[in-house]
Amino acid sequence: MKVPSWSIAMLATLFIAGFAELAIGLYNVQVVNAGEYKRDLTHQATRRVRKPGIRGRILDSKGGVLAESRARRDIVCDLAVFRKNGSISNTVAAVEEEIVRLAGALGVDRPESITPRRIVRHIRTASAIPMCVWRDLDESTLARFEERAAAFTGFSVESHAERHYPRGSFAAHLIGYTGRDRDTSDPEEAYMLAYELEMKGRSGLEKYYDDYLAGVSGTVRIPVDARGFKPVESTSGNISLEETQERDAQNGLDLHLTIDPDIQAVAERQFEGVRGACVALDPRDGAVLAMVSAPAFDLNEFVPFLSTKKYKALSEDPGRPLLNRATAGLYIPGSTFKPVTAIAALNSGFKAHDDYECTGVYKLGTMRLRCWSRWGQGHLNMRGAIEQSCNPYFARLGYLVGSNTLFRTAREFGFNAKTGIDFAPDYAGSLASPPFYPGLVSQSAIGQGRLQVTPLQVAMECAALANGGKVYTPYLKKRPEGSPPPEPVRRLTCRPEDIETVRRGMRDVVEGVRGTGKALGGLTVPCAGKTGTAQIGNGMKDTWVIAFAPYDNPTIAIALVVERGESGGKTAAPRVHNILASIFGEKEGR
Amino acid sequence: MLGRILKFNWFSFLSMVALAVIGVIFIKSAGEARTITALHDAWRVHAATALFGLIVYFTLAFIDYRKILDLFTTPYFLISLIMLVAVLAFGSKVYGGKRWLWFFQPSEIAKPAVILMLAKMLGRTDRPTNGFLDLMKGVGIVAVPALLILAEPDMGTALVLVPTALAMLLCARVCLKVLIPLLVAGALSAGLVLGAVHKAETTTDPELKEKIYKYLPLKEHQRARLRTFLNPEADPYGSGWNLRQSMISIGNGSLSGKGIGKGEQKKLQYLPPSVSMNDFIFCVLAEETGFTGSAVMLSLFLVLLLSGLWTAVRSNDDRGRLVAIGVMTLVFVHIYINIAMSIGLMPITGLPLPFISAGKTFLVTLLAALGIVQSISLHREEKI
Repeated sequence: MKVPSWSIAMLATLFIAGFAELAIGLYNVQVVNAGEYKRDLTHQATRRVRKPGIRGRILDSKGGVLAESRARRDIVCDLAVFRKNGSISNTVAAVEEEIVRLAGALGVDRPESITPRRIVRHIRTASAIPMCVWRDLDESTLARFEERAAAFTGFSVESHAERHYPRGSFAAHLIGYTGRDRDTSDPEEAYMLAYELEMKGRSGLEKYYDDYLAGVSGTVRIPVDARGFKPVESTSGNISLEETQERDAQNGLDLHLTIDPDIQAVAERQFEGVRGACVALDPRDGAVLAMVSAPAFDLNEFVPFLSTKKYKALSEDPGRPLLNRATAGLYIPGSTFKPVTAIAALNSGFKAHDDYECTGVYKLGTMRLRCWSRWGQGHLNMRGAIEQSCNPYFARLGYLVGSNTLFRTAREFGFNAKTGIDFAPDYAGSLASPPFYPGLVSQSAIGQGRLQVTPLQVAMECAALANGGKVYTPYLKKRPEGSPPPEPVRRLTCRPEDIETVRRGMRDVVEGVRGTGKALGGLTVPCAGKTGTAQIGNGMKDTWVIAFAPYDNPTIAIALVVERGESGGKTAAPRVHNILASIFGEKEGR
Repeated sequence: MLGRILKFNWFSFLSMVALAVIGVIFIKSAGEARTITALHDAWRVHAATALFGLIVYFTLAFIDYRKILDLFTTPYFLISLIMLVAVLAFGSKVYGGKRWLWFFQPSEIAKPAVILMLAKMLGRTDRPTNGFLDLMKGVGIVAVPALLILAEPDMGTALVLVPTALAMLLCARVCLKVLIPLLVAGALSAGLVLGAVHKAETTTDPELKEKIYKYLPLKEHQRARLRTFLNPEADPYGSGWNLRQSMISIGNGSLSGKGIGKGEQKKLQYLPPSVSMNDFIFCVLAEETGFTGSAVMLSLFLVLLLSGLWTAVRSNDDRGRLVAIGVMTLVFVHIYINIAMSIGLMPITGLPLPFISAGKTFLVTLLAALGIVQSISLHREEKI
């Protein structure tokens, strides 16, 4: 035969070999590497959708709400419902037509942001989740929609959290504001869809306590078809790629503050029309009772985001409203620094009752340092020098103790270092910077020189004087009930009687006949303080007061600065008086 | 009558019917994702076509194949050639190729025509062996329809004819001293083309690439397919999409499959719906029934092929043997290329999977061809 049986057998062998090859190939794909292909499938056929947890509230010490999350209600459109065969423009046209029809039914304008390009972009990038058409609708529009919802399949109402600040500009710098950000730390970001971008704290406590307030975003994995749409129920049926909750959203925690809303409110009122800052601390543990920076801004302007125009106006305002002067404003402390000099001098052996005659000027080499009293204040000891804020007296003290001792004591009070407060920014300031010149130490001793301090640091100084030499780290987040009282970070190296001397001097500032801070007096409780008038050049002055009350067992220590004031006694002291009066009350008949 | 039943090749018949039923099931499954009614209900058409094909099968099975070879083969072959010319002139254009004449594809009808014509010529009883002239005649019988099909253009179908004819020529030992060197040369040149494409695609010198493609008669989509075969990762969203989705579908089936009708790749349309019930139907089967289902299907095919070859062995007639060899090789080549391409062992070629892919002409043609093989079984003369 021309076709022998063995040749057919060879052909059969070839067929079997071919099938064996196919079987091995299939075994590799379907058994050995199946996991890999399943992963590829999950990767291409699912999108993770992120839904942020609700951001926690910020509350003052009395439970008043300073920042909260309110529900913003939007009308959204599920584009999959309008999906048409053929060109993408068919779908876009169907969506647009329906939006116009719904706009007519609701009596609202068709949103300008929903352009054909916007719809195409949504289909291409995020068709698995609905597209927001109208944002933040009022109740009556929503009610109208609910009545007609049956006639508009594909449209629904969705709630999203939006930040709200019930008190507007109240404690604005302290609370800070939020923005919306993509979470770039997630490697799956490209496959991630978000109903809303994550809210992120951008300044103040919103930023410092961002993790605490924000909570954790929940993620849901939803299946998508080859065009990126969430499959419609009828075609998908029971497939194993179901919508799965991967991680539940966790709401953020509420942040309770040490801020006393009443003190804060009174303090803010003191800055109408002026720039400046005020910090009130509890000298017993360092709790911040009030923190004001003026001028301020309305936090709600940052919701949902600050327009470029408004941002430009805020950032170009000569009053620099975005600057938090309380912790990031660097000032010359003026005479409020003198208690530090006094402590330094007493530490190095100087006697408080030593007599000094002020002639109105202090000469050192070629430097002439004038006292604010033209003809001098005559014979003084330390108490008197503090009471009358004698510049020559303290300039001489500075010269006698030297810069090392002076600045070391200043550092003990907390100057020239970050305060460690649970807040940002937290500027360190500085004590001296080159070029150094003879007499710099004398200048520094009276609070001029090259000192740069923040109102918070000055408030810490005041608190340390008030509580007898204990320096606490200031804090804003309320300590949990029953937790042990905070330990001071350090104690001033000085004898108790030395602090008492300085405190008496500060008492005289308020009560003494020639005291510079008499405006502070007249309260139902005794109070002590120190005024300061810092020369900032060109004849301009920043005016200060530090004060604490009640004198014997202080519960509040305040530092307040008003920029471009007249003098500490005249400009700053009445303001602090108002604050203290609101707490302790004024004496009758004043 | 009893003799007839004993001579009937039940393995061939039953495996064939089983495969056609599998085809109906998975065309239905693949069509579920489609909204167009014609495609949604393509399984009914497949079932009806299979029933019609069975009538053809039995008609041909009970006619003595020798009569078919003697009386009908030459006219059938000539009519096929005329239709192949006609399709080039009047055919309707689908997906960039002229393949359809009214309701059928002449290229499918030409496949058995070539087999029958070759068998008739090579199996002639008047000469004891086939010489060089027979080889040339054989080459001519394949080359003329193959070139016409290539002109449609339908490279896949044209290419299946080559191994089919080769198997017949080799089994018939036609002038082996010329044929074997020719084969070696062919294999070498195929390797050379692949090598050249590989070089062109990996070179950084655009001039060299241009030079290579200038001398290679490859169309852009053919180049892209070869590129995808050589480097499947290069363009997963473009030319590599089908292969990638095909492999994900098959892999996703893993050992036991997702269950019939529950294939995710198919439902979410990552496996392009335009090909899922035709050339890529195996992906649907593999995803929904897993390796188990694939193995069962391969086994059925193997039973079909080997029982066909068994028919050849049992036949005492060279012409009968050659027809069976040709038909079985044709079926084997389709299966092999279709599955091998869907798991990346071969470049993507548009070839249907016998009995399972939707396609009326091919199904009827196959059933007819197998009917003739059954006839060889029924009309064999028992060896003495």
